[in-house]
Amino acid sequence: MKIILKLQDNYDLQANLFSFVIHFGLFIFMLASIQWQMKDVYYSEVELWDAMPMQVKAQPVANKKKSADIKKLTPKAIEKQKQLKINEDAEIKLKKKRKAEKKAKIKKIQKQALKQEKIEQLQKKLLEQEKIEQLQKKLLEQEKLEEIQKKLLEQEKIDKLKESILDQDVKKNARIAVEADQELFAGSNTGELNKFKAMIQQKIYQNVNKQLCGLDLVELEFEIQLMPTGELLGEPKLTQSSKIESCDQALERAILQSQPLPVPKDAKLFSKLKNLKLKFSPNAYTE
Amino acid sequence: MIFNMKIMLNYIHRFIFFVTLITLSLSSNSIEVIEILGGKASQIPIAITPFNEEIRTMGEVPDKKNAFREKMHEVIANDLERSGLFTSLDTSGISTIPDSDILINFSNWSALQAQFLVVGKIITIQNRLITRWSLIDIYKEKTVLSMEFSGSKKQYRGIAHKISDLIYKKLTGSPGVFHTRITFVKKKSQKNYSLYVADYDGFNQRAIVNSSQPILSARWSPDGKKIAYVSFEKKKPVIYVQDLTTGKRVLVANFKGNNSAPAWSPDSKKLAIVLTYSANSQIYIINSDGSGIKQLMRTRSINTEPAWSPDGKEIFFSSDRGGNPQIYKVNVDGVSDVNRVTFEGKSNLSPSLSPDGKLLLFLTQDNGKFRVAVQNLLSNQVLKLTKGPHDESPVFSPNGHMVLFTYKDYGKTTKIGTVSINGLKVTPLRVGSEAIQESSWGPITSN
Repeated sequence: MKIILKLQDNYDLQANLFSFVIHFGLFIFMLASIQWQMKDVYYSEVELWDAMPMQVKAQPVANKKKSADIKKLTPKAIEKQKQLKINEDAEIKLKKKRKAEKKAKIKKIQKQALKQEKIEQLQKKLLEQEKIEQLQKKLLEQEKLEEIQKKLLEQEKIDKLKESILDQDVKKNARIAVEADQELFAGSNTGELNKFKAMIQQKIYQNVNKQLCGLDLVELEFEIQLMPTGELLGEPKLTQSSKIESCDQALERAILQSQPLPVPKDAKLFSKLKNLKLKFSPNAYTE
Repeated sequence: MIFNMKIMLNYIHRFIFFVTLITLSLSSNSIEVIEILGGKASQIPIAITPFNEEIRTMGEVPDKKNAFREKMHEVIANDLERSGLFTSLDTSGISTIPDSDILINFSNWSALQAQFLVVGKIITIQNRLITRWSLIDIYKEKTVLSMEFSGSKKQYRGIAHKISDLIYKKLTGSPGVFHTRITFVKKKSQKNYSLYVADYDGFNQRAIVNSSQPILSARWSPDGKKIAYVSFEKKKPVIYVQDLTTGKRVLVANFKGNNSAPAWSPDSKKLAIVLTYSANSQIYIINSDGSGIKQLMRTRSINTEPAWSPDGKEIFFSSDRGGNPQIYKVNVDGVSDVNRVTFEGKSNLSPSLSPDGKLLLFLTQDNGKFRVAVQNLLSNQVLKLTKGPHDESPVFSPNGHMVLFTYKDYGKTTKIGTVSINGLKVTPLRVGSEAIQESSWGPITSN
């Protein structure tokens, strides 16, 4: 409250605060405008998936059913054979019975052995099938793993690429910055700049009509602003007159006639040639 | 507390000001400078369109349609081209010719490479004509001049010359000479010589002197009122001064020996003349009424063809004092040293000076050929304007941008023509089939 009261009374303070706010605002605006002009580093976007969804492969169903049928049939067959043996004992003699029994036993043993062998074979087959299935599963798993590994590798590659791109950009920017600094402070890389300056000079020279400038060694200066197309932005500004109106106008026409002027495509270089001061001395002895 | 706040704010204020200054100075890079030394002697491309004619009748049937239409713009184009500073563009490819400075299709004219455009309209009412015309800047897309002239039908060439003068003045800064007059001598036969006055382009000729004896070295006084000339009518050369308005003439110099080569002082009051009074040719100065004769200097060598500097302080002349004829200069009081001016070429003669005193016009002998040349008195560079081989008596136009001179055509008959001071444009003057010689150029007059 006290501060507000003070502010109400003290106009100096008000003015100072106001100017501070305005200046601060302008400063922020300037920063914002510079920031707005800054070129952002380009990031390439890549979507990353954490893993592939598990794939369930269809099992060979037909094999399992057959093996199950075989298992169910075997106990019933054994009971039937036993009943048949009892009926034969009652009708035929004991010898025969014994022989038959022996034979039956042998047969039985043989059959059983055969059956057992079959069962064993079936079991083996089942086991083998199980093994195959397991192997298949393992293979599938391996495939999955490999796929995942591949993906991971790819990701790594992408990451590397990204990094390298970033590196390049950084290096490029750094190089440009260094070059700009060099241009600013050491005056190097003026070769390209001078090339364009010479081209502009030559193009305008072709249109300078010195006949309208009398015979004295008159000097003139124009300031021009260029667009990236090489066309003039606005009219040439006469900053030093020859004091001969027809001469001033003739050289203004020479500038206008020279449009479009040769300008570099490189934005950094162009910015150096955007604003130019043209000094003329049409009656200077050049040869 | 408040006091402290004030001081602090003051400091902040200063700091912000300082920071802004620095950022501003950093953001405005040092401007690149391109120096363009020298230039070319090129011609301004100008499109001069035919002036449309509108005939307004007062109950009468209009006669001769488009009587002036083709001529007016041709006169202007010829005027400007003769100066050597302009090149007139062919406008026949443009379908719609505007007759005023409104609704100009600038892209049409810039496609023609025109820097300026002249459009106009002639309105004739009985014997009067009104010319409305405009000079348009094609680059800036704006009208530079827009005027209306009226006069009688007979004055159409005069009106055209006036338009040319105004365009010339506007675009070159120098006055045009298209409304000036010249003199020349026609040798109709061995016993028939006439001194003529005509428009600068040879039109509207009229004889002011007729003689059975040769007439030479006619010179217009700088005020435009009188003409001095050399006549042989007394069986030897004598100098007359004739008043152009009254036609009266005064015998200014009839001394023993030859009286020749009159040259007007810039104030039109005196003449420098050449007499063979004492053996060889010597320069004298005499009042234009024939009084007060005084010898400029006394030497054993021949001194002839005097020419005044525009400030009236020096006299340039040709002399054989170095063996071959060369051009020298001396102060009018005749007591100072004589300085040689020309050094290039075997011999140089017939000097005259441009109105600004910066150019010396003369005849130079180059491998047996006589050619018209100018020397820049600041740089001493010499530019030969004509090819020769038999050119003579060059004189400057009153603005110093053109030269009138005599040459020999293929039939070895002498003719006169103009050459622009840049040497780019030589134009013969068609003033007659006879031998034409001894031309001179009158001053720019106000009317």
